[in-house]
Amino acid sequence: MMDLGVSLKLAWRAIRQNLLTSWITVFTVALAGGLFLGAWKTNQSVRLAFAQSACGFDAVLGARGSQLQLVLNALFHLENSPGNLDWSHYEMIRDHPGVSEAYPFALGDNYLGYRLVGTMPEMFIEHQWKEGKNYHVLPPGRIFSENVKEALVGARVAERLGLELGDRFHPYHGLEYSPDRKHEDIYLVVGILQATGTPSDQVIWIPLMGVQRMEGHDPDEANSISGVLLNLKGSSGLALDVKYNKQGDQATLAWPVPAILSSFFNRFSWLERSVAALALLMALVGGLIILASLRSTMHERRREFAVLRCMGASRSVVTASILWQSIILSFFGALGSLIFYLFLSFTVSSIIHLQIGVGMDLPLFDLAALYTFLGILLLGLLSAWLPSRQLYKNSLQETLQPSG
Amino acid sequence: MALLEVEDLKKSFLSPTGKMEMVLHIPAFSLEERSQVALEGASGSGKTTFLHLLAGVLPADSGQITMAGHFLHLLGEEARDRLRAKEIGYVFQSFNLLSGFSCLENLTLAMNLGGQADPQHAQTLLHAVGLYDRMNHRPHQLSIGQQQRVAIARALVNKPKLVLADEPTGNLDPANTDRSLSLLRSLCEEWESSLILVSHDTRVIRQFEQNIRWEELNQIKRDEEILQIQEDVA
Repeated sequence: MMDLGVSLKLAWRAIRQNLLTSWITVFTVALAGGLFLGAWKTNQSVRLAFAQSACGFDAVLGARGSQLQLVLNALFHLENSPGNLDWSHYEMIRDHPGVSEAYPFALGDNYLGYRLVGTMPEMFIEHQWKEGKNYHVLPPGRIFSENVKEALVGARVAERLGLELGDRFHPYHGLEYSPDRKHEDIYLVVGILQATGTPSDQVIWIPLMGVQRMEGHDPDEANSISGVLLNLKGSSGLALDVKYNKQGDQATLAWPVPAILSSFFNRFSWLERSVAALALLMALVGGLIILASLRSTMHERRREFAVLRCMGASRSVVTASILWQSIILSFFGALGSLIFYLFLSFTVSSIIHLQIGVGMDLPLFDLAALYTFLGILLLGLLSAWLPSRQLYKNSLQETLQPSG
Repeated sequence: MALLEVEDLKKSFLSPTGKMEMVLHIPAFSLEERSQVALEGASGSGKTTFLHLLAGVLPADSGQITMAGHFLHLLGEEARDRLRAKEIGYVFQSFNLLSGFSCLENLTLAMNLGGQADPQHAQTLLHAVGLYDRMNHRPHQLSIGQQQRVAIARALVNKPKLVLADEPTGNLDPANTDRSLSLLRSLCEEWESSLILVSHDTRVIRQFEQNIRWEELNQIKRDEEILQIQEDVA
């Protein structure tokens, strides 16, 4: 026990004596560990967040085209609409026995860059955007009425634009904001949605008719919609997939949403692999930094170790001091990596939430964090193994350079 | 009563040419309890190796070393380490204080290695060497002479039975030499520790009643000379 105390004391002193080197080592290890954990977890978390942010819909029916474009456009409010569908498509799928929920939506306008999405007010009453969670309008607001120029504002939009109940605004034509494309119509804010951490927070909801009959829109398109958001019963997705995608040629059914999103992320797998390789390289650099730091310290401390041996310190005490030094540096490095990872996650999730409205849930102390923490400690031990072994075998006779 | 007895002690090292070269052969040597002896000899003649063997830092090739009833040559390395920590104090030419530790910590660390730290006792010893007011100073904040006084205190902090001093005054000016030497000898006397001091400085050697010429103790030179004579005769 006394030996343990002595070797710990020696290790701590060595760290304090080489404070700058120790800080650089801890910082580098923290950076490497944080990046490693970030590359590992952020990728998973982004996928999970996107999958959970599909607002509780199984499928989207839209114009003939890319399924991915349809999902990104309808659920994440990204990209352009692949085209329009006739109202009859909505009626047909709504009445299909395999469909439990069907809400038509129409796009085409924005307010200061935030999309206006026309839909039916029922969606905010009946639909659960997450299992067991319905939309809530912040009191004293309410959901817009059909056929009236009223708006229900997503939480993020309200926060960013400072929109409040009773405010009025002119929508702008198109999905991108252009000051010279202002519509004459005036909309009244009648409600603000409670934040959901989904892309719903990023849009302004108005009645379907509002988009269809907006001043300046093509009157021939007044009966068309951008798509239908769907929830399906049991395995009806397969039958609908055959009907729309394989046999039909007028509409596209984007189903199942998670698989389509997965194919989207798979497009970036080369990036994920590059980041993972970079993270591993960083981990290797972290290990080498610890090794270099210990080697440099050992070179400076050779005489000190020899003196300690002459004072009665056993080989194991001086060897343990090197191991402890590495463990302490690794421990603080591992701790730093968790902090760096937290910072990285917070930054990434903030950017994604700000841009897309997808809220990422990043638990800090999960198994991945624990494995990374233990991995760094192990790396530190392995890095210390070589120098400590060398020290253990070191001949005192060579080190003390006898004078007589 | 003998504290230390050495019999037919031999030590060889691998030379740069790859041959085993014997550097030390002591047929017999003994040291009484509470006695003080000086070993005089030229640099590089194996005196430090002899001290390392006595301290159990190095194992002997053959021969016997008995110290305070312990048969050093029969003990394993761990046991020799423990014995050294408790019963032997070491003073070096270049002091070798641990630079990251204060004066007091240098002493308490030695006590830790010896079994238990008693800061009160360490402070008393620093007072005895006149450095009580510098106990929290780091070695680099002390003069050369002060550093050696801390080194002496550290060697004696565990009340060892034997103190080995390897050219302890080699780096000191005459005034500090006298002060350090006198301090070392008086503290050894006070703590009832035996002292073996190695030096090539005749001025230091002359201060000891009991002094031995290294060339007389170590047979290696003689063996080589005899071999040379035999070769010459042949």
